[in-house]
Amino acid sequence: MKTNFVKLFIFTQKINRQHIQFAFALLALVLLVVCAGAPSDGGIISH
Amino acid sequence: MILLVAILAGLVAGLFLARLQKRPWMVPPLRQPWLAVIAFIPQLLISYLPSTRARVADTLAATGLIVSLALLLVFCWINRRCSGMWLLASGLFLNLLVMAANGGFMPISPQTASRLVPPDSQSALAALGNGSRFGTKDVLLRASQTRLVWLSDHFLPPKRFPYQVAFSLGDMLIAAGAFWLMLTQGRALEAPKKKPKHKIAKESEC
Repeated sequence: MKTNFVKLFIFTQKINRQHIQFAFALLALVLLVVCAGAPSDGGIISH
Repeated sequence: MILLVAILAGLVAGLFLARLQKRPWMVPPLRQPWLAVIAFIPQLLISYLPSTRARVADTLAATGLIVSLALLLVFCWINRRCSGMWLLASGLFLNLLVMAANGGFMPISPQTASRLVPPDSQSALAALGNGSRFGTKDVLLRASQTRLVWLSDHFLPPKRFPYQVAFSLGDMLIAAGAFWLMLTQGRALEAPKKKPKHKIAKESEC
C-alpha cells in the first residue's frame, strides 16, 4: 500500500504544467471539432 | 466520428512529419480553451445526453445549438493565427449559416436519411414527419423546403462504404482545417529565446 502511494507520488511529480496544457488544448480542439461539425450517421433516429 | 478521424489522421501525420524532421511534436497552443468547453455544455445537454435530450424543447434546443456555434466562432477568432483555423472557422460559419436559416438544426432530406438507417428501422424513419429531429443535430426537411440546401447534410460516401454518414460542405472544411492544424502546428519543446517586446505578441500566437 505504502509503495503504491510512493509510486503515485512519483507519477504526479512527473506531470508538469506543459502536460496539463497539452491535454487541455487537445480537449479543446476535439470539442471544437465535434461541436462545430454536424455530420449524421443516424445513430439516434429521433427523441 | 468522421471529424475525430480527421484529428487523429492529422495527429499521426504531424507526428510522422515531426519524426522526419527530428524534432518533438506538441499540440497547438490554443488560447482560451475554456471557451470550447463552455460551448460544449449546451450541445452535451441538447444532443449527446439521452436523459436531457428528451426533455429539452425543440425551440430551446435550436437556440442552444446556435449559441454554442456562435461561442465556437469567437473561440476560432481568438485563435485565428493558428494555421488551419480559418479553414475550420469557415466550415463552422457555413454550418452555423445553414442551421440558423433552417430553424437551428442541420437539415437533412428524408432520401439522404434513409441511407443512414438500417433496413429494420426504415419504418420508424418513415413514421417521422417533416420537421422531426434526426440524429444528434439534424432535422428532417424535404430538399424543396430547405434553405441553402447545398450547405445541408447531403453528401454521402459510396454505397459500398461500410460506414454511412451524411455530411455537409462545412463538415468537410472543418475536417480539413482540423487535419491541417494538427499537421502543421507541431512545435519544438524548447524554451523560447528572449525577444524584443514588440515581437513577443506575434511569437505567442500559433
